[in-house]
Amino acid sequence: MEKRLIKKDALADIIAKIAGDILVYAPVKEEDNVLFKVLKPGGKPLTRYANTKNAPKNFFFPHSEKMMSFTRTDKGMVFSGQAGKSPEAVLFGARPCDARSFVLLDMLFDQDKYKDTFYIEKRAATTIIALNCVHPPYSTCFCTSVGGSPTSSEGVDVAVTETGDGCLVEFLSPKGEKLLKYFGDVKAGDAEEALRKEIGQQAVQEIKSHIPAAEIKPILDVNFEHPCWATIHQKCLACGTCTFLCPTCHCFDISDETKGADGVRIRNWDSCMFPMFTMETSGHNPRPTQKERWRQRTMHKFKYYVDNFSAIACVGCGRCVMYCPVNIDIRKIVTDISRL
Amino acid sequence: MQNPYVPIPVEVVKITTEVDTKDIKTFRLAFVNKEDETNFSYLPGQFAELSIFGKGESPIGIASSPTQPGYLEFTVQKAGVVTSTLHDMEEGTLMGVRGPLGNSWPIEYLEGKNIVVVGGGFAFTTLRSLTNYMIHEDNRKRFGNITIVYGARTPGLLIYKDELNEWEKRTDINLNVTVDKGDATWKGREGFVPAVCKEVAPSSENAVTVICGPPVMIRFTLPVFFDLGFSKENIITSLEMRMKCGIGKCGRCNVGSKYVCKDGPVFTLAELDKLTKEY
Repeated sequence: MEKRLIKKDALADIIAKIAGDILVYAPVKEEDNVLFKVLKPGGKPLTRYANTKNAPKNFFFPHSEKMMSFTRTDKGMVFSGQAGKSPEAVLFGARPCDARSFVLLDMLFDQDKYKDTFYIEKRAATTIIALNCVHPPYSTCFCTSVGGSPTSSEGVDVAVTETGDGCLVEFLSPKGEKLLKYFGDVKAGDAEEALRKEIGQQAVQEIKSHIPAAEIKPILDVNFEHPCWATIHQKCLACGTCTFLCPTCHCFDISDETKGADGVRIRNWDSCMFPMFTMETSGHNPRPTQKERWRQRTMHKFKYYVDNFSAIACVGCGRCVMYCPVNIDIRKIVTDISRL
Repeated sequence: MQNPYVPIPVEVVKITTEVDTKDIKTFRLAFVNKEDETNFSYLPGQFAELSIFGKGESPIGIASSPTQPGYLEFTVQKAGVVTSTLHDMEEGTLMGVRGPLGNSWPIEYLEGKNIVVVGGGFAFTTLRSLTNYMIHEDNRKRFGNITIVYGARTPGLLIYKDELNEWEKRTDINLNVTVDKGDATWKGREGFVPAVCKEVAPSSENAVTVICGPPVMIRFTLPVFFDLGFSKENIITSLEMRMKCGIGKCGRCNVGSKYVCKDGPVFTLAELDKLTKEY
């Protein structure tokens, strides 16, 4: 594994240089928010920020994505073209929790039998440079409770760790090593790696939020009908913010749009929090109230995903906790369930 | 890598209005490209997304049998945007099909057993596929006795009437067609499906029943089969849910950990007992 040392101040310039050559997604400041955006060629990303408001899943699984186009003929609407090829890209500045979300999404979108080509192609064309959390940024961070850590390398191609004045840059995959040329030639050694490990251990200590996420699966297995579900959802507004900001939520809708003789089929993020999500044409809805929808969200993350992929579908980023307009806290829900 | 969302082009070659209310039609779709037909290898019980560009997609059970090469058939009730557009279509129109999707009736398990097919109303489509598959001359000897109980509210609501008449003539099917209430011309049986099942009383020995119908029919038919000695492993049905992708990605048709589109739609009663009752 290749390792390089760079000066801390040089990081933004290096990313700007990469953005001069290929597409780069990176955190930028926009009004009061830090958001992942496409970096303008030569533009500098933020390198000091807590975390972005939006999860980076948008780059592989866009909020709204054209799947194919069609056109009118004498014999009806016919297929006229697939979505274009995915460009080579770099995703810079993903926190380890967000990078790990892609490993979880791969399990779903890249299954043996059914492959979601839209996601897989973009994912394969993108190299992920993660910025390790030397100091976990929020009191709501709980990555260590769901299998991650502030310096987890899961899903990471290049890991950057601030070590005082410098940054240790570790190239963890062949895809990552292709970016080696941008990071100078100061090689890092065992001392820096030891320091990185120490930083990682220290960062784990700084995580203040702990929940028994791994313990509730057997409890959920037998409590589908428990009265607790009647209370969890009560203040929910069904706004869908939690699912839209979640790095691992992957539900989508497919719809057609036409203008004149031409049209496109697009997929848009959807949410299990919305009443229409499961509403059938007959009017029957298997999840008729917010109670069933909240049960679905909780079960999907902490039971169904575990049943299907042996992994919890949560990376502990805390976005749903921070941005819920009525302060529903998944950490409290998990903790309460653990005490059933 | 094949894109699973791109539909296969097909042409509507024949439209049959099945019922006197005219809101259920069978659409025969022929593949535009010969190689697509070869690749579309399916078994009775599977479904496909009927794809109408500009309107969307609808998951519908395949009503034809793989023993009928050259085309696919889907029997569709006019209900929403896609199915209404379909009902307005004329022969010769081009559209798309995405599939085959889902599991199928468990053909291997059914082999060598006596089969009891129970259908109600318009939910007879994949049962018709199964029946035509089993009674095909290449397959008939692979299955034991075949008993069919099929009912509709009125004679005019029975689907596949011509085929039912053909089946009636065969000696290797015990066909029992019933209507809740007959009319002036109806000479056949009257009575609800559960009552007819009780009357026909198929033996549970080495037998499997496959049941599709409205929930109320299923609710009253199941006890009849329990009384006849059928185990939950040998009562098989097919579920429906709202679907979009059909391949277990879009996240809406799960019942517990199982996706109806990918792990179903066919489940035994024993399997359904292990799932949550969220459908």
